[in-house]
Amino acid sequence: MTRIEATRIIVDLAGDAPIVASLGHPAYDLFAAGDRPQNFYTWGSMGLASSVGLGLALARPDVRVFVLDGDGSLLMNLGSLATIGLLQPKNLVLVVMDNEEYATTGGQPTPTAHGADLDAAARAMGIAATATVRSEDDLRRAGAERGDGPMFIVAKVKESAPTAKPPLDCVFIKHRFMSAIRSPQSAIEGAGL
Amino acid sequence: MTTTTAAPAWAVGVCTGVHAAGSRDVVYVPDNPLSHVLRVFEHQFRDVRLVLATREEEAFGIAAGLYLGGRLPTVMLQSSGIGNSLNALTSLLVPYQIPALMIVSMRGDSGEWNAAQVPMGRAVRAIFDSIGVPHATVGSADSAAETVRLAGKTAFGTRTLGACLLPRCLTLKVP
Repeated sequence: MTRIEATRIIVDLAGDAPIVASLGHPAYDLFAAGDRPQNFYTWGSMGLASSVGLGLALARPDVRVFVLDGDGSLLMNLGSLATIGLLQPKNLVLVVMDNEEYATTGGQPTPTAHGADLDAAARAMGIAATATVRSEDDLRRAGAERGDGPMFIVAKVKESAPTAKPPLDCVFIKHRFMSAIRSPQSAIEGAGL
Repeated sequence: MTTTTAAPAWAVGVCTGVHAAGSRDVVYVPDNPLSHVLRVFEHQFRDVRLVLATREEEAFGIAAGLYLGGRLPTVMLQSSGIGNSLNALTSLLVPYQIPALMIVSMRGDSGEWNAAQVPMGRAVRAIFDSIGVPHATVGSADSAAETVRLAGKTAFGTRTLGACLLPRCLTLKVP
C-alpha cells in the first residue's frame, strides 16, 4: 500500500467530514487524492496536525474529524497522544502515514524504521482503539470503526512521489474550510459588537 | 464579584476579562501564579472549558483547531513557554490569521530569583514585537479584567493574536 492509495481510502471514508493534513507529503497527497473544502492543509507547524484535529474535535463533537499525520511529524509532538488519551474524543480518527522516513526532506529514516512503535505508544497513553495496518482492506476496516474513544491508526505505507501541491494561500484554506464545516459565523466574522 | 475562596483579585480579573471577551475555551500549561486563575475558572466560570496541554506549542495547535471549529480560544502559559511555541505561532496561527488570546505569566522580570528564567523573560516582549503580536501588561488587579477583555476583543475581532502579560509584581508576593 502506497501513501497515496491509503490517502484515497481516508478521503473515501471521510465523506463530508473534515480532514486535517500534516505539512509536506501528507498534505500534498490529500490534495491529489481529493481536493475538497473540508480539507485543512497545514503548510508549517510540523507536529501539530493531531493537536489541530483534537481542538477541532472538541469544538465540534457533532462531526467526525480525520487527521493525516506522518511518523516524523507525530514524533515531534508525542505529548499529543497523552492529551488525546486524557480527553478521549470519540469523534477523532488519527491516521499516521508511517513510511518510516522523513520523505519530504529527502528520505532520512525515522525511528519507526528501527522499531519505534507508535501504536504501542498510543495505547500506553490511554488510547484503547488502535490498529497497525498494511493493506487497503485493513485500513478501510480500521477507519470505519466507531467506538467510545478516539481511533488511532498506523498505516504502514510505501513512499509514493507526490504529484501536486495544495493551494498556497493559508487564509483561503482557512476560510474555505470553516465555511465548509459551517463554523459559527461569530468566529468567521469576528466577535461582534 | 464575591468569592467563597481566597482568590486574588488579579486572578478574578483575568478570568472576568477572558469570559467577557467571549472565550469559553482555555488551553493551558500550568505555572504557579496561573494556579489561582485555574481555580477561579473552576469555581466561578463553570462554562469555561479548561484543556491541559503537555507543551505550549501543542496548546497553540489545539487552540487553532478550536477556532477552526468556531470557538474563540485562550492559551494560558508561562513566558518561558513562548520559546516552545514560536513555530506554532509563526507558521500556523499568524499566516492562517487564526486568533487567540494569550495569558502569559511572567518569569524573569522584576522579583525573579532564578537566573535560568531571566533571558527569556527579558526577551519576550521583543519577540512578540518581532513577530507582530500585540501585547499588553496587566498593571494592577483593578485593570486586569478590562485589559484582558480588550486584548481578547481585539484579537478575535481582527483575527490576530493578543497577549496579556502578568508581571510577577502583580501575581506574587516577592519576599
